[in-house]
Amino acid sequence: MISIERLSKAFDTARGTSHLALSDISLDVAGGEFVSILGPSGCGKSTLLYIVGGFVPPSSGAVRVQGAAVTGPGPDRGPVFQEFALFPWKTVLGNVMYGLLEQGAPKKIAEDRARALIEMVHLKGYENFYPKELSGGMKQRVAIARTLAYGPSILLMDEPFGALDAHTRTGMQHELLEIWERDRKTVLFVTHSVEEAVFLSDRVVVLTRSPGRIKEISRIDLPRPRRRAELLVDRRYQDYVVAIEKLMDDPAEVRA
Amino acid sequence: MTFTRRASEIAIGILPIALVIALWHAIAASGIAPAVLLPPPGAVFARLIEQAGSRQFLDNAAVTLYRLFAGFSIAVVVGVTLGVAATGSKAVEGIVKPLVRVLAPLPKVALYPAMILMLGFDDASKIALVVADAVFPILLATYQGTSAVDNKLVWSARAAGCTPRRALFTVVLMAALPSVLTGCRIGLIISCIVVFLAEMITSTDGLGYLLVRAGRNFETVDMFVPLISISILGLTLNAAFNALRKWLLRGFAEES
Repeated sequence: MISIERLSKAFDTARGTSHLALSDISLDVAGGEFVSILGPSGCGKSTLLYIVGGFVPPSSGAVRVQGAAVTGPGPDRGPVFQEFALFPWKTVLGNVMYGLLEQGAPKKIAEDRARALIEMVHLKGYENFYPKELSGGMKQRVAIARTLAYGPSILLMDEPFGALDAHTRTGMQHELLEIWERDRKTVLFVTHSVEEAVFLSDRVVVLTRSPGRIKEISRIDLPRPRRRAELLVDRRYQDYVVAIEKLMDDPAEVRA
Repeated sequence: MTFTRRASEIAIGILPIALVIALWHAIAASGIAPAVLLPPPGAVFARLIEQAGSRQFLDNAAVTLYRLFAGFSIAVVVGVTLGVAATGSKAVEGIVKPLVRVLAPLPKVALYPAMILMLGFDDASKIALVVADAVFPILLATYQGTSAVDNKLVWSARAAGCTPRRALFTVVLMAALPSVLTGCRIGLIISCIVVFLAEMITSTDGLGYLLVRAGRNFETVDMFVPLISISILGLTLNAAFNALRKWLLRGFAEES
């Protein structure tokens, strides 16, 4: 589904030097797979996601989606950002309808589909609210509905629950899994939370500190559908979390 | 906002104006300034009400209003378009930025004699001066506002299928609306001042002309009438603009 081939990204810094953010990343993601990208802050994990989205060009290497090279954004890859990035001048309904209208759907059909999606993310009754009137968790649900509306086969999620409180966060993780179980989209999920990555993913990709390289890829063999309350007492879940935690705070790397 | 709070806010807004009028009245009544030079406010307002029914006065006010709105509208269209285009295109930015740097600090009124020579004695030269003065704050506010828009808003739109050019006006401009409207408001106030100024310098009609003519004929009461009229006009326009702004920005977070 997604194939990332020898991808590197260097940024020009303000001092005129070049900063290598990502180095030689190669990764294949299968259709319907849930893959998390985990790494310390500043390791370029979000940049990797933006390159797959076509928002930022790579310095070298390539990304292919179903065989076609990525040259720009497209409705097959739907982003969800930590900052929600909702359109403040549009209501909840307007935000969710946006992508459908951009795709050329007639207004009536777009509205019906948007209303169904709003109901699916448990925001029925909030159609005419503006984003500023909603809580963080509600905003993110609107953002997810807005992205699902135009039917992307891949979801690119950039620390989507990073700005939420712990309680809302676990609730959102469950909701995301419910949605994912239903239509099995391919998900690339960037996070810095080990538990979140293990709970959600089929595979967890651990990146090194800057420049980001792939340090290890762990397959998470836990049965689905997953319930957090059950997993927390599951020895295998604990082992995954501990093993990946250990990878993350490698003392040799902290010094570097 | 409750009605009583709104009413008390209006009262607080009126108070300083009432104080100035009271001071004016006190000075006129005390005889420090002879009544021929400084007529009491009562006489001025009485004349204003009397004039408000006169065809000749209303025609002059309409001419001023027409020049004001024509100039302001052109300034908004030109300023907003150039500001957005400069954000969207490096080429436009390269042309607009140095031009603004040279032209913005120039006293536009110095161009007025040239405008009269080129555009004639009628409306066009006055409108041109209004445009020249009002366009820069609008352009600068639009440019700054649009260049500060979060990339992720644009990316969200691009992924949904919006083209870059369309995103510039449907997303970037909309997201920058608070700052664009602040620029427009400054432009509107400047338009009020400049249209009056242009009419005072060279004109055969308009409120500014009425003021100059009355002054030359030593008709001090008639001299104050256009002055009060333009104040009331400015106040009304400002209030109308604020109402429009409030409505347009209903989804945006409140700025203090």
